[in-house]
Amino acid sequence: MLRLSNLSVSYGGLRALEDVSLEVNEGEFVAIVGPNGAGKTTLLKAISGSARVGGGRLEYRGRDLTPLPPHQRAALGIAHVPEGRRIFPSLTVMENLELGSYRRAARGRRAEGLESVMTLFPVLQERRQQAAGSLSGGEQQMLALGRGLMAAPELLLLDEPSQGLAPRIVEQIFETIDRIRRASNLTILLVEQRVVEALELCDRGYVLETGRVALEGTHAALLADPRVQRAYLGA
Amino acid sequence: MVASELGQYVATGLLVGGVYALMSIGLALIFGIMRVVNFAQGDFMMLGMYLTFYYAVALGIDPLLGALLSIPPFFVLGLLVHRAFLTRVTGGGDPNREMDAQLILTLGLSLVITNATTMILSPMPRAINAPYATRAFEVGPLLLNQARSYSFAIALLLAGAVYVFLTRTDLGKALRAAADDPEAAGYQGIDVRRMHGVAFGIGIALVAAAGGLLATYHPIEPNVAVNFIVLMFVAVVLGGLGSIPGAFVGGIVIGLVQSLTLLLLPLQLQNVGVFVAFLIVLYVRPQGLFGRRARSV
Amino acid sequence: MPRDRGWLGIAAVVAVGLVLSLALTERYHHRILTLVLLWATMGLAWNVISGYAGQISFGHQAFFGIGAYVTVLLAAKLHLTPWLGMLGGAGVAVLAAVLIGAPTFRLAGIYFGLATLAYPLIFRILMDFLGYQEVAIPMVRDHPVLFMQFEEPRTFDLLALALLAATLVLSRLIETSRLGYSLRAIKENEQAAEAMGVDAFRCKMAAYVLSAAPAALAGAIYAHAILFVVTPDGVFGVIAIVQTLTVCLVGGVGTLWGPVIGAAIMIPISEILDTTAGDRFPGIQGVVYGATLMAIMMWAPEGLFWRLRRRPASIARATPVATAPGTAEAPVTAPAAPGPVLLEVRGISKAFIGLQALSEVSFDVREGEILGIIGPNGAGKTTLFNVLNGFLLPDRGEVRWGGAPITGLQPHVVCRRGIGRTFQVVRFFPHLTVLENVLVGAFAHGAAPAAARERARASLGQVGLAGQADTLPAGLTTLELRLMELARGLATSPRLVLLDEPLAGLSADGVELMAVMIRRTRAAGVTVVIIEHTIQALVKLADRLVVLDHGRRLAEGAPGEVTRNPAVIEAYLGKRWLARHAPNHAATLQP
Repeated sequence: MLRLSNLSVSYGGLRALEDVSLEVNEGEFVAIVGPNGAGKTTLLKAISGSARVGGGRLEYRGRDLTPLPPHQRAALGIAHVPEGRRIFPSLTVMENLELGSYRRAARGRRAEGLESVMTLFPVLQERRQQAAGSLSGGEQQMLALGRGLMAAPELLLLDEPSQGLAPRIVEQIFETIDRIRRASNLTILLVEQRVVEALELCDRGYVLETGRVALEGTHAALLADPRVQRAYLGA
Repeated sequence: MVASELGQYVATGLLVGGVYALMSIGLALIFGIMRVVNFAQGDFMMLGMYLTFYYAVALGIDPLLGALLSIPPFFVLGLLVHRAFLTRVTGGGDPNREMDAQLILTLGLSLVITNATTMILSPMPRAINAPYATRAFEVGPLLLNQARSYSFAIALLLAGAVYVFLTRTDLGKALRAAADDPEAAGYQGIDVRRMHGVAFGIGIALVAAAGGLLATYHPIEPNVAVNFIVLMFVAVVLGGLGSIPGAFVGGIVIGLVQSLTLLLLPLQLQNVGVFVAFLIVLYVRPQGLFGRRARSV
Repeated sequence: MPRDRGWLGIAAVVAVGLVLSLALTERYHHRILTLVLLWATMGLAWNVISGYAGQISFGHQAFFGIGAYVTVLLAAKLHLTPWLGMLGGAGVAVLAAVLIGAPTFRLAGIYFGLATLAYPLIFRILMDFLGYQEVAIPMVRDHPVLFMQFEEPRTFDLLALALLAATLVLSRLIETSRLGYSLRAIKENEQAAEAMGVDAFRCKMAAYVLSAAPAALAGAIYAHAILFVVTPDGVFGVIAIVQTLTVCLVGGVGTLWGPVIGAAIMIPISEILDTTAGDRFPGIQGVVYGATLMAIMMWAPEGLFWRLRRRPASIARATPVATAPGTAEAPVTAPAAPGPVLLEVRGISKAFIGLQALSEVSFDVREGEILGIIGPNGAGKTTLFNVLNGFLLPDRGEVRWGGAPITGLQPHVVCRRGIGRTFQVVRFFPHLTVLENVLVGAFAHGAAPAAARERARASLGQVGLAGQADTLPAGLTTLELRLMELARGLATSPRLVLLDEPLAGLSADGVELMAVMIRRTRAAGVTVVIIEHTIQALVKLADRLVVLDHGRRLAEGAPGEVTRNPAVIEAYLGKRWLARHAPNHAATLQP
């Protein structure tokens, strides 16, 4: 479904990704792990369109994504749940969710989308008229996830959902992601710093290190591979 | 001073403030969503005044209605101006340089509009002699000029319509999202550049309508903008750059300040009170009353 | 050499002005010439604060108007000769600059511009109100020259030319001095400038004051040469600032030739338009100015001067960095025994809304070592540097440098005490050479340009960029830009330098070379503290590592130890990874 071939991306004047090749097949759950600064977030930005591709190919269902601006990629069904939540702070929880289904294909399914998101995250139902900026970190993450789901996506990009959250909340979030996966057979690309949680959830994984793919494999193979540690700590 | 005299000043200030509020909302919308300080805002208002004048004199349409009828053509004009000029100075990288470039671009646009109007139509002031411009309602001891009262009411109505638009329609929410976080808005499928165009169009349309309302009691001439553009800026800064309800409140406050300044200073110095208030706000609380801290200016 | 060309250029402009003044015969032509010269002067004045320092002022006509009014009022009321009155006008303008600047420079970004808008408007209303709507220059029969009333229009040209020449000289002096480089650094990145020892507030004030005086003098001459009757609108009005802006923006911002070029082009065009078409089309001047401003902003925002200059790509590049002399023989010095403690960090805590960025962080930095600061999360490390540097005040804790507390000192003071810093995103000055880019830092310890140039050259040599000293930075690779940034930090002659992610985004070769340069820096006697995400290179480079996790100091020690420390492994990869791969270690950790 999604294929990156020899992708190079510069972001903020730095060479963030160099010659990265990976693929995500329909229905798969792929995780990308690696230390901070490895280029994981830039990878997702390149896919969703806010980072310009310098070289290589980026294809979605066989179609070259590079000429499309972010809002057109979203219209195709690629939902990016960004790093740091990035919910709209001055809009209410409800308005945030409604905007999640802004793309034409999802607008018709807004009502059922809202219902399933509220069931998944009861706290959002409780706080639906509150300004999103006043929610706690964990609640904002749930809102961001819910907003992403509202788009009735074909490909869900999750950028470090655990960032900045307390361990207990992180567990909840990962449980929820697992539940979402099982319920809908959604294609998911997860970028995470927490290695084990990410690898346990996924089918296959890639380890990024300083902008390159250092390792790849099934989740079982990677979990057992001590070389993953070297990618983080250099030893 | 008799209470009723003070009340008169307050009432006049409020009525005038309502129209200032409408003007300022347009400016705030444009700044809040696109981070553009539109120096030409006053000039579009002036054009709105002329259009309303034309409606009144050539087509016999009451200026209050004429003001409302100015909205669609100016919305389209705003979209065109945005596409033709503003898009060429955005998306370059350094936000500070960009802001300077936009400021100067809109300053240039302001000059072109004012002077072209002077060239094409004569600089002679005109007026719409609406019958209600010289009549007043008597509310207790207060005299409320009818033209100003009607303008106030319509200004409030329009402001209310903007509020409903922003909070109850998908497009309005998308505009607010584009203001909050353009990158995240893109991820939801919102075309942020188009949102900017829409915001600019609405901003221009609102100020043109305000101009139409103003035309019921204020002479119309090409240079009229200069008296109001600073008032608008002060109102927006006072309310908090980027806050639309803030701009509304700011406009009302400026109307009051302008009116109440007359208690202390002669008519000539009326605007000095406003400018001094401007400086005080900038120095003491630049983010204004409802300023958003989310994105730095 | 660019320096000599500058003075030659000024002489050329003056010569042309003289020739024109002597050659032209018609009164009308002299008027145009006078206007060109005056607006060029005004443009130059504006350029000092808005072009060099990047603080766009929309109110410079305030000084112009003050000069005009003070001079004419002194002549009308006190019979003071305008030759002296002019100086009075300049004096009042300078005072106004101080009074306006002091509160206004504390405003950020666009608020500064908006505030400057208000002042001329206030002055305009005040003059109206005070009854000075029309102040005519008093006609004096006895000593007309004493009152700046000349029969011969040529004299006004020459007067304006003299003022222009003086302002050109002033601009040139600023451009080549420490102030000029500091201003340009402030424009590019005020924070980075502060870290290089620039006292931004004082520099901005100095620039503002220096820009006020020529503006006032121009206003005084304008009143006598052109207006004859001073009105508020004529001198405080919009047309003054528009002419100033147009002249600079068309000609080129941030250079002394810009306003001259801009004035030479725009003023004749607009004056001729005004006389030929002005009656039939009132306002044509305004349309032309407005359209020009728009066109410039859309297509050549930097102005014609920069557009026309030779592009850097055509300048031949000197030896590329990799083979620069000296790199090959960089000895990999075994780290000597660490010296005495230079920097003590004690219990630093800093919280932002909803985030505890730093929590009781303490460690020492010893002279001569390379210390790496790493950690799995982003926030803490940069915040720590910002505290050490003086950009942030910690909530608790203390930083001591050579025994003396430096917590809360301003960044430029910290720099002058010997702590240098580099920034991850290199904001360079595109129109200055690599050497001049580094020059700002070199001024930290002395204002003499020649000595500073030497220091700058030396630090470029230290990082292997000596060959690139006279090229423009646009042609540099990312690696070379990083090296230039390092040179900038070193130019301040620090005893300790804080490097903010010097290795990020570099290729493997680049990382190698950077590491060599860092070791060289240490070998030259500068202690190094590095923040990095990429541990791999740091492991080989650093003597010791300090690990921060969620703002707390997690571990400290030699790289080999630290990377095997179970708490560190847990921080990077999670508790469960640790449990899988080092179960016995995991057991020793607290839950």
